[in-house]
Amino acid sequence: MLVRWIVALAAFVIVILIGMVTIGNFGTGIDDNNFFDTEGANSFALIGAIALVVAFVAYAGVEYAQTGGLASIASQFDTRTIVLMPIAVAINIILGATVANALKLPIYLDSIGTILVGALAGPVAGALTGMLSNVLWTYVVPPPFQNGPAAAFGIVAVVIGVLAGLAGRAGWLRPRLNRPTGELAIGGLVAIAIVIGLGVYAYSRFYGTTFEFFNPANSDPIFTILGWLIGLLFVAFVIGFLVLLLIRRDLTVAYVTVAGVVTGLVAALISAPISANVFGGVTGGGTDFLVAAFRQAGADLQTATFQQGLLSDPVDKLVTFFVVYLVLAAMARRTKARFPQGERLLESAGADADDGEWRRATV
Amino acid sequence: MAEGDRLTESPSGQRGVPDFVGRPGPSAYHRLNPLTKATLATATAIAAVALGGLVGPIVLVTAAVIGPALAAGVLGRLVRTALLLSLPIAVSAFLVNLFFFPGASQVLLRIGPITATAEGLGFAAEILVRILAISGAVTLFYLTTRPADMTVDLERRGISPRVAFVTNASVQTVPAMVERAGQITAAQRARGLDTEGSLWRRIRGVLPIVGPVILGSIAEVEERTMALEARGFTRPGRRTLLWAPPDTGAERLIRWAVLLGLVALIAARIGGWLG
Amino acid sequence: MTISLAGVGYRYAGATAPALLDVDLELRDGEVLGLVGASEAGKTTLCLVVSGLAPRTVGGQIRGAIRLDGEDVDAWPMHRISERVGIGFQNPATQLSQVTGSVFEEVAFGPMNLALPRDEVAERTWSALESLRIDTLAERDPVRLSGGQQQLVALAGLLAMRPEHLVLDEPTAQLDPAGTRLVADAIERLAADGASILVAEQKTDLLAAICSRVVVLDGGRVAQLGPAAEVLGDRRLRDLGVAEPSAVRLQRAAEAAGVHDARLSEALAGG
Repeated sequence: MLVRWIVALAAFVIVILIGMVTIGNFGTGIDDNNFFDTEGANSFALIGAIALVVAFVAYAGVEYAQTGGLASIASQFDTRTIVLMPIAVAINIILGATVANALKLPIYLDSIGTILVGALAGPVAGALTGMLSNVLWTYVVPPPFQNGPAAAFGIVAVVIGVLAGLAGRAGWLRPRLNRPTGELAIGGLVAIAIVIGLGVYAYSRFYGTTFEFFNPANSDPIFTILGWLIGLLFVAFVIGFLVLLLIRRDLTVAYVTVAGVVTGLVAALISAPISANVFGGVTGGGTDFLVAAFRQAGADLQTATFQQGLLSDPVDKLVTFFVVYLVLAAMARRTKARFPQGERLLESAGADADDGEWRRATV
Repeated sequence: MAEGDRLTESPSGQRGVPDFVGRPGPSAYHRLNPLTKATLATATAIAAVALGGLVGPIVLVTAAVIGPALAAGVLGRLVRTALLLSLPIAVSAFLVNLFFFPGASQVLLRIGPITATAEGLGFAAEILVRILAISGAVTLFYLTTRPADMTVDLERRGISPRVAFVTNASVQTVPAMVERAGQITAAQRARGLDTEGSLWRRIRGVLPIVGPVILGSIAEVEERTMALEARGFTRPGRRTLLWAPPDTGAERLIRWAVLLGLVALIAARIGGWLG
Repeated sequence: MTISLAGVGYRYAGATAPALLDVDLELRDGEVLGLVGASEAGKTTLCLVVSGLAPRTVGGQIRGAIRLDGEDVDAWPMHRISERVGIGFQNPATQLSQVTGSVFEEVAFGPMNLALPRDEVAERTWSALESLRIDTLAERDPVRLSGGQQQLVALAGLLAMRPEHLVLDEPTAQLDPAGTRLVADAIERLAADGASILVAEQKTDLLAAICSRVVVLDGGRVAQLGPAAEVLGDRRLRDLGVAEPSAVRLQRAAEAAGVHDARLSEALAGG
């Protein structure tokens, strides 16, 4: 057992080192003094994600070699999960295609199924749902739904599924209703602080070097407008978030918000290098216009895709997490409870004890 | 029992698996093992990215996409489908790079504040060719391979029947859900839902459809789970397969050769020998 | 094979009140047992319990003992029970596996899961298709069939597993009249061939035609159990939320109207 985890960890570290070195070489060449300042550093999230997948494959490979099967992984998938996954994949593909083709909005909405499965069944199930959605979306689904670039972003979907699974496992999606106002206020402020913190990090790392949003001396009026728009959006978000928190009196709104923004951030960091290097920043959806706008402002391709992603993805994942939370709320308690992680999504754990003559299934 | 055959008449006079289960494809390319076709498609797509430039991907498309498509008799459909597939991306890519390529100096055209540049055109052409190569490769696979054949082949090689089930069911659920969405749309329209018009109207029109579709599908999960378990789905281990696509030693060789070639290509690219 | 339930009770997960209580029942070999009751009386629950889905797949808690030919099945996994007891449901569409392109493969799904040899799978599939007279549909896409045809495909899929006992939970409930006719005829033929069936139905006409005994559930308990004609002719049936068979209703209406024709009674009894 231990051997598998050690091999997986070793694979993870090796891939990260290889990734940093090679991608560093792609760009300005490796500089011994600034190992972490190379091009590779921009793609650290992507490299991490690839390393994760390779480590998982290594783990599975060792288990297969040891036991001739993949029991520890397959056992996480009970029939109910197996039945839900195709539905989740279909939801991903259909909604994603509709938004990209018909509505042309700068969001994706192609992860609702992935996050739903992750929350109900666990990280591995969520990851596989994401990967399968993207692969099928490219290779198997007929036009008009077919999406050529999707398979390349499979790894992003994998990480989204993992994060959703972890959020579900940690109980972040468990409704916390009727909390006292004080608790709600603290939760709300913590959530906003986290979001602002992440926003500041993203801004300083990826936006600040290129241009100033609010600087009136900036030649392009479009960015002043964009800057004010984003500022307004953010204020609206904070107000809406607090209102939602206080009206619904559900503390979990804060958790869901943080989960959405964090997942969005990670997804943006992983998908930007793929978009830039493989597709030149263009994937056929509404987000291409944003990338174009940022490039017009003077950012290079790599930075522009980061800038677009860091706007679109957190918004997209925030909306998606809330949609999933709503769907979970609409599901009957009995339906949720039978899923592998279902108990952690219920408001109150209502485990039926074996009392007296009543007994539960032994298998 | 040899791979790829089905028992049509056994000694005891029993009936066997009928012909329509796993019908082989019309051309030699169709009849290649699905794993081979998948390897070729993926390798072509990755190679198109790794090669870069214009000449490389064009040669690649001719050799690995157009040639086999011609041999398989799907060239017409391939061109139409691949173009349809890549059109939105191609248009976006072209316009974006043509007009918004930063640091470009050779101006071709000036429309108000927007300028088209030669460097932008060059980059746009490169991206276009790459996109065409990828969509061509992927479409060739899609046109010559039934998803069910792919999963059956993988299952024979050792993939869990549950993974095969999820893949097959996903492929069938997409059109089924679209149909259901269509029915719900018709019903909502009869109740006065507005689905045309401005963007805002269209967004608002999506919700009364998406909600019932998602919740309706999830409500079926319990029934489907019971139906599957009632048919022995929980039995661990392998299950019997009625048919599997054949695989030959030659194809195995081809797959390995392609993979090694791809690795060499990527190494050459990283090492800078391709410029 | 005899299935016997002794003191069986069942409680859904998270529920305080039991859905079934003190059920003592025997399902005999070669017998067709009818199951009636108002909605929410526990018919579906009883079907799930007999087939093993409750509590294995559905969760919840059980009490009492269920025995197949005298052997307690409490520790049996679901796939082991599914080889002995098959269960069909109301909704034809959700019983389709969604992974097959033809009716043949759909019906073969169960035997394939049991890892039987290929020729055995094929043989069982053809037999099941022929016994329900849908072998002509073998090449068709199951998704494109009518509700009644889909229900027959589901039934064939169960028969292909060669269970010793069939449980059918309101098989015609979601079908149009044509589909109902199709499925009812098929079930009648199975019954005539000596199959062991537990069939729950609101349409008591079908039960009157094929069942030897009928059990009435009320509030999760057995309210009545006896020969079909007796139970279905009992006047208390209405109070238990069950509509009597049309033949019985006609007989009573005739008597109420003062029509005492021996030929009428004979025809209704024989029909």
